[in-house]
Amino acid sequence: MSSAATPAAVDTVMGAVALSERPRSLWRDAMARLHTRKLNYVYASVLAIYALVAIIAFTPLLGKSVFDAQVGAQYAPPAFTGTVEQGTANEHSTIRPSLWLGTDIAGRSVLYKLLYGTRVALTVSLLASILSVVIGTVLGLLAGYYRGWVDALITWLYTTINSIPWILLMVALAYALKDREFKMFGQEFKLVGIPSIVMALGLTSWVGLCRLMRGEVLKHRERDYVAAAKAVGAGTSRIIFRHILPNTFHLVIIDFTLGIVSFVQAEVILSFLGLGVKDQPSWGVMIDDAKLELMRNVWWQFAGATAAIFGLSICLNFLGDALRDALDPRLRGVD
Amino acid sequence: MLAYVIRRILMTVPIVLGILLITFVLFSYVAPDPAFTVAGRGKKPAQLRAIRKEMGLDKPVWLDSRAKAEQDGREYKGHFNSQFFDVVLWRFPESIKYHQPVGELIARKAPVSLAVQLPIFLIELGLQLILALICAFNRGRWPDLVVTFGAVLGMCVPYLSIIILGQSVLGFGAGIFPVAGWDTGLKSVHFMALPILVGVAAGLGGGVRFYRTVMLDEVYTDYVRTARAKGVSRNNMMLTHVLRNVFIPVVTQTVTVLPYLLLGSLLLERMFQIPGLGGLMVEALFNNDRPILLAMTYGISIAYCVMLMLTDIAYTLVDPRVRLS
Repeated sequence: MSSAATPAAVDTVMGAVALSERPRSLWRDAMARLHTRKLNYVYASVLAIYALVAIIAFTPLLGKSVFDAQVGAQYAPPAFTGTVEQGTANEHSTIRPSLWLGTDIAGRSVLYKLLYGTRVALTVSLLASILSVVIGTVLGLLAGYYRGWVDALITWLYTTINSIPWILLMVALAYALKDREFKMFGQEFKLVGIPSIVMALGLTSWVGLCRLMRGEVLKHRERDYVAAAKAVGAGTSRIIFRHILPNTFHLVIIDFTLGIVSFVQAEVILSFLGLGVKDQPSWGVMIDDAKLELMRNVWWQFAGATAAIFGLSICLNFLGDALRDALDPRLRGVD
Repeated sequence: MLAYVIRRILMTVPIVLGILLITFVLFSYVAPDPAFTVAGRGKKPAQLRAIRKEMGLDKPVWLDSRAKAEQDGREYKGHFNSQFFDVVLWRFPESIKYHQPVGELIARKAPVSLAVQLPIFLIELGLQLILALICAFNRGRWPDLVVTFGAVLGMCVPYLSIIILGQSVLGFGAGIFPVAGWDTGLKSVHFMALPILVGVAAGLGGGVRFYRTVMLDEVYTDYVRTARAKGVSRNNMMLTHVLRNVFIPVVTQTVTVLPYLLLGSLLLERMFQIPGLGGLMVEALFNNDRPILLAMTYGISIAYCVMLMLTDIAYTLVDPRVRLS
């Protein structure tokens, strides 16, 4: 494990011995591995496009006035199918991008809703993933490092949460947090839409990472580099966060990536249960709205939202797997 | 052996307490006041009080005492006449929508969920094991690549999308199956076919990858190498040696799926109008039916916890190595 020692420190210790090349750290190694498979660049660029769309959706370019505006007749089919109803207002305007993917029940553009939905999906899943990763990492580190009653308490907490089927706990929490007002420190908080979903997802999904981290930290705290850090007088928090955390950080990254996938999918379930976002389009709400449209042969809203989720999930899944292979040395050569 | 069993049972006690605490705190402190959600806005305080009394929410939260009861003008019925012990002792008020005891409602709906979910589970498990075996047999060659790639693709389609698509294409479009509904007794088989098909299709992907990894782990163990060196054929080795050992992780995985069997799939039952526990829960969410939500979260979690305990104990009977570690 070389990441605990900085190159400068190595130089002074080694004295006259010059290092011909920079040390091969786990991260440089992993990047090199990711680089060898060119498909990873494809996944990364698709993800970059999703991110870009989400950022654009934060600007007025895709604001409420855009996705909420009526742009055509009810259920106008996508422009590329070439079936434009005669005599309607949009007969001559098939080239308008708003009609590329047709319209929904209120004549709103499916394309714009889809693009705006990227913002909701990425906001929800990124925030939920950050929340769950932070909880899981901190609790895992503390349990593994301190052991004793801290460990017993944290282990009890995650075993308990793990003993409640995830979907039940998540749904119950989402239900409890929906449209709630809280008074805390003299201030009022109102949880509407995205914050309550993020909390419901994030607070229930940290167990897997916490357990992994705890196991890993239990091994690391006995390693020589931790003993060395203690010997030079490093404080406990410094040892945990500057020495042990970087050496176990690959677990965090992998969990973060794959967490996003499950949160995007969970948003669909929450929307179906009436616990999703309100007053703004999201992929989950679109699929939920489309559940009866398909029988009327209105397939574009359903297909668009499903494809958007599919594209994001598949890229994250493949990239997550590649990351796992690149970062976890134990898996190398196994599969 | 007996010591282990006792220790494992004792280990479950704090976990059950934790489940109780989490669900109770969630529903009494975090969730909205059920009296409001039942009565709607603009109700008079007297009506709200009556609803609270009916739901047992006029009682103290944790413990009752004679002084408290006199102060509130209630009849004193012992220390444990509180909201918390109503949950502990399974004294749930009637369902707001059905006006039936929650326990009865759950007992009536559970077999329906099981009738749909058990076939899904068995068919799915069989297919997953077969596909995983095909992968492990042909590791790195095209059947492996096709199956693993297909599994990932399947995992990336939202569950709800698969249900909607199956329902409208196979049920509504082709007219092979009824779109939704349920019937009594054996007649319900007619309605079960499509949900089972869709459920299997939706859940297939994840397990295939998991079991493939499990089988590949097993392929690289010493005893397999020994068997191969002794001249055991590839097929024989896979089907008898490997498959048998793979069943330990398979059983673990299976147990984690069991509560979902009982709960049914929330989405599946709602979309196909199957009167099971999943449908009941979704309905309760829309109706703010707090007794049902609380009882189901609590009851199913405890059942799950007990199942985990039983599996662990069953393990020690099958595999003595577990006891040692």
